[in-house]
Amino acid sequence: MQGFLLGLANGTSCVVFCAPALIPFFMHEGQDVRQNLVTLFKFLGGRMGGYLLIGLLAWGAGSLLSGAAGYQGLLLGIAYVGLAALLLAAVFRKKAPAGACAFEGARARLSRWPALLPVGMGFLAGLKICPPLLLAFTGAASAGSLAGSLVFFLAFFLGTSVYFIPIPFLGVFRRVSALQIVGQFAAVIVAVYYLVVGAILLVAG
Amino acid sequence: MTAQTETKPRKPGLGILKSLLLMLPISLLSFLFLTGGPPGGDPLRFIAGIVTWLALNTLFFLMLYTGKTYRYRLVLFVALALTLIITFAASILSTRGSLALTEADILQGKTPFCHLVIPTIIIPALFTRTIIFPGSLLTGFAPIASMLVIWAGATLALGRGWCSWLCFYGGLDEGCSRILKKPVIKSIDRRWTYLPWAVLLGVALLSAATLSPAYCEWLCPFKAVTEAAAITSTLILIQTVIFVTLFVGLVVVLPILTRRRTQCALFCPLGPLQSLANKINVFDVRIDPEKCSRCKLCMRSCPTLSLDEASLESGRTLMTCTKCGQCVDACPRKAISFHIKGTKVGIGANVARVLFLYPTFIFFSAFGGGIIASAILNVLKLVTTGRMY
Repeated sequence: MQGFLLGLANGTSCVVFCAPALIPFFMHEGQDVRQNLVTLFKFLGGRMGGYLLIGLLAWGAGSLLSGAAGYQGLLLGIAYVGLAALLLAAVFRKKAPAGACAFEGARARLSRWPALLPVGMGFLAGLKICPPLLLAFTGAASAGSLAGSLVFFLAFFLGTSVYFIPIPFLGVFRRVSALQIVGQFAAVIVAVYYLVVGAILLVAG
Repeated sequence: MTAQTETKPRKPGLGILKSLLLMLPISLLSFLFLTGGPPGGDPLRFIAGIVTWLALNTLFFLMLYTGKTYRYRLVLFVALALTLIITFAASILSTRGSLALTEADILQGKTPFCHLVIPTIIIPALFTRTIIFPGSLLTGFAPIASMLVIWAGATLALGRGWCSWLCFYGGLDEGCSRILKKPVIKSIDRRWTYLPWAVLLGVALLSAATLSPAYCEWLCPFKAVTEAAAITSTLILIQTVIFVTLFVGLVVVLPILTRRRTQCALFCPLGPLQSLANKINVFDVRIDPEKCSRCKLCMRSCPTLSLDEASLESGRTLMTCTKCGQCVDACPRKAISFHIKGTKVGIGANVARVLFLYPTFIFFSAFGGGIIASAILNVLKLVTTGRMY
C-alpha cells in the first residue's frame, strides 16, 4: 500500500520524465485510441521490467542506495543512447500502407508494427533513474527482503502508471496528419538530445 | 476591351500633408519614449534618442507617403537586430567584464532573459506547476515583468506581427536573406514548416523532464552572437558547437541561399505561439481572389512561407503570416492588403494598413527604439571616451 501511495504521489513526475520519448512517439505513430492503449501497455510492461532490473541489481550489489548511485551514470548513459536508437528506429522505419494487414504473415506484421519497440522503450525509460524512483529505492530498502522490495516496486509502478492513462487519447487526433509530422520531427530532436547526453554520460562514466 | 474592364490598381501612398498629419501622434509619443522629455544630465543620451527618433519617424513617414511597407520595415528590423548585438555586448561587458558566462554566473542566475524562452516557461508551468527560468529573480522581477508585459501586449495587438516588427533577432536572418538577388535554393518542402512546432514540443517536454531551459542550453542559435558559457568542459564545447552550427546554418547560410527567413520560419519555437496569437489578433493580410492573377509572385517572395496555392484560392494567408508587408508590396495588381477582421476585403485597405502601423510603431518606439538608442549611445561613448560603457 505504501508503494502504491508513493507512486500515486509522484506519478506526475514519472510521466514528465517519460513524456519526451512517449508523446512524440505516439503522435508519429498516428494510431487510434485502442491501438495506443495496447502500445502503452507494452511500454509500461517494459518499464516495469526496467524497474525490477534496477531493483535486483541494486539488491545484488549489497547496498540498495549506494549501489544504484555508483552505476547511475552508466545506467543513464545506456538508457539514453538506447532510447535514442529506438526512437530513431521508430521514426525512420518504413510503415506499410494502411489496410494491408488482413492476411499478412507474422513477419510482415512485425515489419509493419515492431511489437517489441515500445517494450524496449519502456524498459530503457525504466532505467532512467529519476527522483521518484530514488524515493522508491528508499522505501524498498526498508521492506526487509528481496520479495518485499519487489512487491514494493510493483505497487509503486502501479501507482505511477495511473498518470499514463490519458496519453493514448492522443489517438483522437490521429487524422490530423500535421501532428504525425510534428511528432516525427520532435522524436528526432528528443532522440538527438538523448544521444548526445547519453554519449557524454557514457564517456564521463 | 479587356483593359477597360480591368480594375485600376489603387494608388498606394498618401499625400505629403496627410502623411505628416498621421505621423504627428507617433512623433510625439516616440519623442517621449526615446528622449525622456527635455535634455537632462547626459547630452550624449539625448543625442542618441534624437537620432533614433529622426530615423524612426522618417521611416514611418516614408511608409505612409509611398504606401510601401516592406523595404522601410526591413531597414528598421535589421537595424534593431544589429544594434541589439552592440548594446547587449556593451551591457554584458559593463556588468560582468567578459562576454562569456562563467559557471558562477550561471549558478547565480546572471543570465539575461529574452522572449524566445517564453514557451519554455509557459508550457512546463501549465503541466508541472514549475517555472523553469533561465535567469535570476533575486535581483528583482521588474526587467523580466516588463519584457513579459511588452511581449503579451504586442502579441495581442500584432499577433505574429511580433516576429516581423519587434523580435530583436529576426532582423539577422532577414538581413541575410536579402543579400542575393535570386535564390539558389528555390523550393523548400512544406513539411519543414512544421519543424518549429516540433522544436516547441521537444523543448517544452525536455525542459519539464530535466527542469532546465532546454532551448537555452542546447538549441539557441543566437547564443553565438550574444553570449555563451565559457568553454571549460566537453559538454560546454559541444553546446557551443551546436549554437554556432545552428547560427551559421539557419541565420546566415540558408537565408542567403533561399531568400527566406529560415530560422524564423523553420525553427524558432516562439513562432508557433505567435501563430496561434494570429487567430485572435484583429489584423491579418488578405488576398482578393477576384483581383489575383495567380502569378504567385507573393508565394515566391514571402520570407516565412506563409502563402501557398490554397491561400490564393481562399484569399487568406497561413496562420504563420508575420505581416511583414512583402506580399502586399510585391503584388503587381494590388490584390493583397492589410485587413481588419470583420470588414470587407480590399475596402479601406489603406486605413487598415495605417491602423496596423500605429500599434507597431508605438511598440517599436517603446521597445526596439530603446535598444537602437542605447547602441547609438554606446558608439558615441566609444568615439568620445574610448569606452563603450
